[in-house]
Amino acid sequence: MEDEDNEEQTLQKKHQLMLERLSARHQTRLETRKPDPSDSSTTSAFLSRFNDSKKSIAAKIESSTDPSRLPDISAAISDLEKFVAENSYLLPSYEIRSSLKTISDLKQSLENLTSQLIPKKKFSFKKSKPTKTQIPQPDTVSVPEKTTSYPIRDSPGFRHKQNQVLVQNFKGSEIGEFTISDLDSCEVKLIGCVNALFLNRLKNCKIYAGPVVGSILMEEVEDCVFVLASHQIRIHFAKRSDFYLRVRSRPIIEDSDGVRFANYCLKYEGIEEDLAVARLDEETGNWANVDDFKWLRAVQSPNWSILPAEERVGDVDLANLR
Amino acid sequence: MGLLSIIRKIKKKEKEMRILMVGLDNSGKTTIVLKINGEDTSVISPTLGFNIKTITYQKYTLNIWDVGGQRTIRSYWRNYFEQTDGLVWVVDSSDLRRLDDCKMELDNLLKEERLSGASLLIFANKQDIKGALTPTEIAKVLNLEAMDKTRHWKIAGCSAYTGEGLLEGFDWLVQDIASRIYMLD
Ligand SMILES: Nc1nc2c(ncn2[C@@H]2O[C@H](COP(=O)(O)OP(=O)(O)OP(=O)(O)O)[C@@H](O)[C@H]2O)c(=O)[nH]1
Ligand SMILES: [Mg+2]
Repeated sequence: MEDEDNEEQTLQKKHQLMLERLSARHQTRLETRKPDPSDSSTTSAFLSRFNDSKKSIAAKIESSTDPSRLPDISAAISDLEKFVAENSYLLPSYEIRSSLKTISDLKQSLENLTSQLIPKKKFSFKKSKPTKTQIPQPDTVSVPEKTTSYPIRDSPGFRHKQNQVLVQNFKGSEIGEFTISDLDSCEVKLIGCVNALFLNRLKNCKIYAGPVVGSILMEEVEDCVFVLASHQIRIHFAKRSDFYLRVRSRPIIEDSDGVRFANYCLKYEGIEEDLAVARLDEETGNWANVDDFKWLRAVQSPNWSILPAEERVGDVDLANLR
Repeated sequence: MGLLSIIRKIKKKEKEMRILMVGLDNSGKTTIVLKINGEDTSVISPTLGFNIKTITYQKYTLNIWDVGGQRTIRSYWRNYFEQTDGLVWVVDSSDLRRLDDCKMELDNLLKEERLSGASLLIFANKQDIKGALTPTEIAKVLNLEAMDKTRHWKIAGCSAYTGEGLLEGFDWLVQDIASRIYMLD
């Protein structure tokens, strides 16, 4: 018993020290101020160094005939990869992804070169080497059960409804996460703060929500209007829908098209307080900084646009809705 | 001697560990990494590619690779498998609907030969959210007991939001890797 207590104490002490060290390190980092991500000189300095390394590696791969040089090339690619990763907090999204692709290509060429220079041994115990495409083969290894057999309880939410007005007030409730799914032609009003919001399979709906302290995750929605505030939002498989958002970070879309964005416009009694509690009282302007994961080019994605001012709904006051 | 073992030898001297963080999008990977590094976690965007953090932890240097989990970029995960000493699989314990997806992606990952030697830490994250599944429930859903017997693994509940459970999890991971790789010194 005593031993356990002691152990527990040393463990706690260790963690305390660790936390102190971490925060000290954070402090020094703050003092050696990070360059501004939008600073174009950071980006161009990165790109010029990146391109130099890339060229030199590509040239080595091109000219190598000696297998003993392979480890060097491999190390150079690793260094380049690390360089990108270290800078990825500071780079615009397009540059990150194009460098990601370049590195992937370099690795592929090195792999090709390796298999040219070091032909596979004829007789050896097979240690099935990874091949070019690493997509795991289903069912070559027997893994029991494909789907989860364990019963999962349902989270609180609205599900399987048509032509209804649905209202939920989170004030004084114990609800942490909330799900809205399989609705057709419904209007949903959520008042107060919640930690996480999941939205799935909605058609022709209007969803108005107070602040979400964490994130919103959305899949398969079409012909909807959303008025939402949250720290993060991820939008998947959305079609022809309008989003009035306030977000602390950049909204992202994936596999979506015809989605339009504007700023948050919800009003209900006490919303200012709720927004402040959720630290969403400040307009960051991020509603317009949408990243499309399916669009890998530097020019604007055709899948989303800014909602023209004259088409916006104006303030939505929940008290005045029906 | 293959490429890998040469690199591994060099690494051993430097007491470096390479840790790969993966999991579905929105599970909290980036928040976890920034939290354990003592950084501000109040404005984090979904990860477009990857991030790397180098953290000194006890007497080791951890290179933590945090790779985005959005569907489009999951195919990039495999670029990071090589030389991974520790795998951290992060689960959003409040996202009940996608647990099937989560199980499928984890099962696929564990079939990967290049990861077969890596210690596996599963973080049942977001324990602070009311209604989140407990680590025991998550372990059942993911059917962890059925895992290959040679794998070193552990599941730990945590909250990247409060920081609870993070250090315990990383302590286990680092100790486990150290006892496998640095046994000789
Ligand atoms: N309540 C709560 N929210 C959390 C916790 N961890 C992360 N979050 C929130 O969950 C959302 C997703 O976190 P991220 O760290 O961006 O998730 P990620 O796994 O890196 O996501 P991708 O980069 O898209 O793969 C954010 O809004 C976080 O604030 C937690 O422990 N509790
Ligand atoms: Mg992330």
